[in-house]
Amino acid sequence: METLSIFAGGFAELADPAVLAFMVVGFLVGTFFGAMPGLTSVLAIALLLPITYTIDVVPALVMSASIFMAGMYSGSITATTINIPGAPSSMMTAIEGNALMRRGKGANALGHAALGSMIGGAIGAVLLMAFMPLAAEVSLLIRTPGKFSLVLFALVVIIIVDKGAIAKGLVATLMGIMLATIGIDVLQPVPRFNFGTETLVQGIDIMPIVIGAFAVSEVLIQAQNWQSSLGATLDKARAIPIRRRDFLPPLSEIREIGLFTYLKSAVIGYGIGILPGAGGSMAAFVSYAMARGSSKTPEAYGKGSRQGIAAAEAGNNAMCGGAFVPMLMFGIPGDPTTAVVLGVLVINGLQPGPRLLDGQAELLAPMFASLLVSALVLIPLTLFLFGPWFVRIVSIPKGLLYSAIAVVALVGSYVATYSVFQMSLAVIFGVLAFFMRKLGYSTVSLLLGFILGPDLEQYLRRALSLSDGNPLVFLTSLDSLFFLVLTAIFVYLILFRRKAAGKTASAQA
Amino acid sequence: MSGKAGILRLGVAFPLVLLVLTTVYFAAAFDIRAQFTPEGEMGPQHIPMLVSGLMYAALLTVLVQELRRPATLADTDEHADLLRPALVVVATAAYIWLFRPLGYALSTALFVTSLFVVFRFQTGRPVRMALSVVAVVAAFYGLFSGIFGVRLPTLIEGLL
Repeated sequence: METLSIFAGGFAELADPAVLAFMVVGFLVGTFFGAMPGLTSVLAIALLLPITYTIDVVPALVMSASIFMAGMYSGSITATTINIPGAPSSMMTAIEGNALMRRGKGANALGHAALGSMIGGAIGAVLLMAFMPLAAEVSLLIRTPGKFSLVLFALVVIIIVDKGAIAKGLVATLMGIMLATIGIDVLQPVPRFNFGTETLVQGIDIMPIVIGAFAVSEVLIQAQNWQSSLGATLDKARAIPIRRRDFLPPLSEIREIGLFTYLKSAVIGYGIGILPGAGGSMAAFVSYAMARGSSKTPEAYGKGSRQGIAAAEAGNNAMCGGAFVPMLMFGIPGDPTTAVVLGVLVINGLQPGPRLLDGQAELLAPMFASLLVSALVLIPLTLFLFGPWFVRIVSIPKGLLYSAIAVVALVGSYVATYSVFQMSLAVIFGVLAFFMRKLGYSTVSLLLGFILGPDLEQYLRRALSLSDGNPLVFLTSLDSLFFLVLTAIFVYLILFRRKAAGKTASAQA
Repeated sequence: MSGKAGILRLGVAFPLVLLVLTTVYFAAAFDIRAQFTPEGEMGPQHIPMLVSGLMYAALLTVLVQELRRPATLADTDEHADLLRPALVVVATAAYIWLFRPLGYALSTALFVTSLFVVFRFQTGRPVRMALSVVAVVAAFYGLFSGIFGVRLPTLIEGLL
């Protein structure tokens, strides 16, 4: 109860003009990055990461939350207007929204996307605040062997959700773990892999990896694809008038979608958010598929279904709230954006875990409030104020945009520690990430391996040490056994059932 | 395109490079000296060795998959595609090298100009390009130095 009242106090913190300004600026930056194809909210927060060295933790977290919510919502803008999802999580919205756009109902589709995002985002934020104290209580019950099995579960899920590229996912994750082993050992004051240099004794900071993997590699990818032009698509989209009054979805259409669709999609999205590595795309897809499965008008799907837009958007925005739960309680990010937000926490000296709510709940409360306010107030407000010009976002010349991103990324790497070495590391990781992305290796797996690697090693060694080296401790400890069984269930569901389903489908064909 | 993919393809070369790096890592793991590790327990060198083993297995799987994959049209064009990213990397390396000696303003102006050329932004309009360069340099100087109070290197510091 006390924690809930602290969370309520987070809204008062947002009344501080400086904090409010960070939230609004974050939302606008997130909207821009989310709407721009190729740019994502992960990149926006990655660019923010060095700046968090120079600002307080509360505005940094408030800004991260509003960027996250805005980025998840604004992918629907270009998905609807020009059929290019600003973010992968808006794929389903592109199918339905652009079909409506082509029928002259673009503003209506944007309105439904915003309403779905608003409801889903708000429910996700409320569930986050409501269940955080409970999640903290539960996480206190997990002991060292259980913590190892939980981290193992997270890593296994991250690797296997990358379907069709499991070996590459494993390579990327192991690379992250290897990078994390550079520096002082997790349990003993012994340097590892410093190759005789002083610079590597302290290990590699998360910041150059994030900047390299998400910002520098993006500039390199865009340099490779610089010719691609959206000119014709944009001209067509600009010709369709978008008026403010059309953004408000009629009550009859909302009734047709059904309150249950919004609620069900939000709960699904929140639940998927809790799963490590699942992210907004899976939340949107599962919510969309479930809504279609129970729809009275499934034939409308694929041809401009408003229910499809509402379900997908409610699902991916509710995911934002869910993704914070494992990140804050166990240090296990639910999606790439929260992985970078974890970096913001660590840079500011906050250690994820159940104790976070005891001592530092007042630092987290404004972030939760920012999630809720961004969903409830800023999504509709931004749509109303800037909606008619949304289509122009993608008109910004690529050369100018990516040159600016390169400067922010590199100067940002420098300002974090006033070190040219950090800039060099960012470029090295950027080149590595460029080849990884080009060849289908997940950079998110690399980052999560880097974040979770030290925990995996620490819990494994501690658990073995406490049990005199007996590995059976992972089977005799109930919490550990639970997560190992959960891992086996996920492996079965994702790998073997999918294969069986594939075989059945091909036999029917 | 038909036939198996060549060994010089990026898809094969990349895991081969990782294989070499893993070998360096694996060899270095043997040099880690634990302060104390009771018998039967894991020391600082054990996880790196275990990870190296898993990495070898994963990389060999990727290599087999890549070598079995038929070559595609994209495979033949991939080296030509790398020219622009390579130019960006060279420009970035030069930027990092010159950042302190030339200071933020001059080095960033040169870096942004080179990126504009790579991205072909305003290349036919030198005045507009120069104005855009100044705008980018000034905007981020204002952001980092003005708003966040970060001290950026200057040309005078570099000369001293």
